[in-house]
Amino acid sequence: MKQGRWAIAAVSMVLGIMLVTQYRMTQTITENNVHLQRAGDLALQLNAAQKERDELRAQLEKIKKGTTDDVNSDYSVLKQRAGLTTVSGTGVVVTINDSKVPVKDNENPNLYLIHDEDILRIVNELRAGGAEAIAINDQRLIGVSEVRCAGPTIMVNGKVFAPPFVIKAIGDPKTLSAALTMRGGIVDTLKYWGIELKIQKENQVVVPAFNGTFREEHLTAVKEGATT
Amino acid sequence: MIYVYIVLGLIVGISLGSISPLEIPPVYAKYTSVALLAALDSVFGGTRAALERVFDLSIFLTGFFSNSLLAALLVFLGNIVGIDLYYVALISFGLRLFQNTAAIRRLLLSRRTK
Repeated sequence: MKQGRWAIAAVSMVLGIMLVTQYRMTQTITENNVHLQRAGDLALQLNAAQKERDELRAQLEKIKKGTTDDVNSDYSVLKQRAGLTTVSGTGVVVTINDSKVPVKDNENPNLYLIHDEDILRIVNELRAGGAEAIAINDQRLIGVSEVRCAGPTIMVNGKVFAPPFVIKAIGDPKTLSAALTMRGGIVDTLKYWGIELKIQKENQVVVPAFNGTFREEHLTAVKEGATT
Repeated sequence: MIYVYIVLGLIVGISLGSISPLEIPPVYAKYTSVALLAALDSVFGGTRAALERVFDLSIFLTGFFSNSLLAALLVFLGNIVGIDLYYVALISFGLRLFQNTAAIRRLLLSRRTK
């Protein structure tokens, strides 16, 4: 039995060595895991920060709403945005006239005239260039404005105009004129047919208010937040 | 007085392990932990056998080493073929460990009441 005891002691010794080695290895693994944990912590922090940001943004929105809760200022802001007030600012004045180039035989004279599509393209470019208010021949363009071909003339806001057309736009003059005169843009195309086009950058452009009538025969207001 | 030997062996082993620069790469953590568990199980089994007076040295020694090696080897094989024998080894050795400790406790208690 004595032998066995020593054997057990020896075995216990081996066990002790194993225990220590295992312990040491576990420590190393934990240390290595610290890096991974760090990444995880950072991801968590990022998540929290994003959540906080969203909450703050919502709060900001709420506060903003609160400040414009004043009915009068709300009303005037909405009126201005709807184009119901005369506004002024820096911008461009675009004057367009039909081509003076004599029409050759067997060529379509329509190509040398200004069409509603040309005006629409100009308006579209101006809007893309950040125009804040646009008027064609002093007809303010708003959400329901039409630009339509009416024989040799063009109809805007239900009023008929013949060339020359004067388009006024408020915005950054440089950006607006650049939007129109970019290579292959609308000005390039129109110039090709000899259509007279003049862009003036101005410090003071006055765009009048929309003075037409609103028709509301078909629409009814839907409560905010309600789905269709 | 078998415990004296066990404790003595453990102390010597722990101090030896602390002194020696023996380090195992963390990749083999699974194998060594299973081997360690098997070794623990063998030691407790040996203690129990000694208390029951059926201790056999050769069985004890072969059991200690072969169990450890076999457990590590089985886990290794399981890793190769995609079976997690690691947990199986953990459970079986763990169960035996607790059974052995329970038996030791009962034996000690019955001896005292005698």
